[in-house]
Parts: sequence; C-alpha cells; structure tokens
Amino acid sequence: MTLYVLCFVLFLVGLYGLLTKRDLIKIILSSGIMGYACNLMLVLFGYRRGAAYPILEKGKEAAAMVDPLPQALVLTSIVIELGVTALLAALAIRLFQKYRTYDITKIRRLSG
Amino acid sequence: MDGKPGMTIIIKTVVRIIVGLIFLYGIYIILHGHLSPGGGFGGGVILALGLLSVLLAYGREETLKWLRLGSLRDLEHATPLLFLLFGLAGMAWGSAFLANVLSKGKLFALLSSGTILPLNIIIGLKVGLSLFLVVLAMAEFDLNEGADE
Repeated sequence: MTLYVLCFVLFLVGLYGLLTKRDLIKIILSSGIMGYACNLMLVLFGYRRGAAYPILEKGKEAAAMVDPLPQALVLTSIVIELGVTALLAALAIRLFQKYRTYDITKIRRLSG
Repeated sequence: MDGKPGMTIIIKTVVRIIVGLIFLYGIYIILHGHLSPGGGFGGGVILALGLLSVLLAYGREETLKWLRLGSLRDLEHATPLLFLLFGLAGMAWGSAFLANVLSKGKLFALLSSGTILPLNIIIGLKVGLSLFLVVLAMAEFDLNEGADE
C-alpha cells in the first residue's frame, strides 16, 4: 500500500510542477514526471513479491512470475509519452521563436 | 570552442572510441529480443543514442558530412513497408496477418522465433532512425527566426 501512495505522491509532484512553474521547459519535464508515475503505478499492479521476471530461460523452472501484461502496456505508454514530449518540445521551440521567451506569463498575445 | 563546431577534442575522441561499442550493444539487444529483456524498441533507442552522441560531439554539419541523410530517411520510410510485407506473407502462407511462416528452430537458440527476429530488426531500425531524425529536425530549428517582433 505504501508503494501505491508513494507513486501517487510522485504524480502529485508532477502535477504541482505543471500547475505552478512558469518556465515551459519545466512544464514539459513535469508532464514527463506525471507520465512516469502512471507507468510506475501500472507496473506495480502486476508486481508480486519474490516473483521472477516473465521470461523462460534454459535451466530455469517456471516458478511464480510477475504479470507481463502491464509491462507490455507500459512499453506502449512509454512510446506515446516520447511522442508527446517531442511534440511539446517542438511547440515550445515555435513559441520561443514567436515570443522570445519561455515564460508563460509573458506569452499573452494570441496572434497567428 | 575557438570557432570550431562541436565539443572539445576529449569528447570527440571518447565518442569516436565508444560509438562502435554502443552500436554493438544495440544490435545485441535487438538480436536477443526474443530471448532476454529488450527487443526492437529498446535496441532501437540505444542505436539512436549512439547516433545522438556523434551529433552532440561533432555538431550537425560534421555529422551530416559522413552520415548520408537521404538514404537513412529512405530506410526509415521503407521499414513500415517491410513490416507489412512480413504481415502479408503470414496471410499468404500462414493462417492470419503476421502469422509465423519461418522455421521455429530449437528452443533457446538464437534462430528460434520464426518471424519475430526479422520483425524485431525492422522495428529497431525504424525506432532508432525515427528518434534520430526527430532530434535532428529539432536541431534544424533556428531559434532566432522571426526575431523582428
């Protein structure tokens, strides 16, 4: 239970950064931290204490294994997060070209 | 820096020595994707990081001089087609899309997974080259463009 609570605390750290920081780069990093907390939570759901990784090997008995399904899901989630981060970075670069700053309080004129 | 592109000679030398090892590790991860943790995506990311270390150490112009970008881009665009060909081969000779058409070999051998190994190689190429091209495209951005506001 403690692990899940710590996971949620990590998510809250990301949310805090997303809501309070003014720098666009820090906001992108915060959204990444939120995603990592979600991934960690999903992997923890499939975790079993003392179990082996779910891969067959030569000379290894098929004992208790952790659930591989959340891990496959998280692999997809990591790829999507990578794409989202690249998109956010590209948007931040375009905003910097337009407004010459990463400070979101100074980005106020909405012009095309 | 003294006007030259890229970083200092220490970093350039270290990168020149280490980049082959990084590629070797990425290829190992891709080839053993069906036997151990790793696979196409993880190995592809390692390949991309090897290319990125060259890009960071030597600068963009120097990297593009010995890295033929056009053929890399063509290879990156061709990989989904190769994946589709393997899927259609599964439909033609097997039972369904992406069904196994190759020999399964012996358990725990390197060639023991049928079409998983070539598909892993294709995914590794796609992921590595796409990641590298994404970062290269961001490096092409000119931050001073449109500064007349």
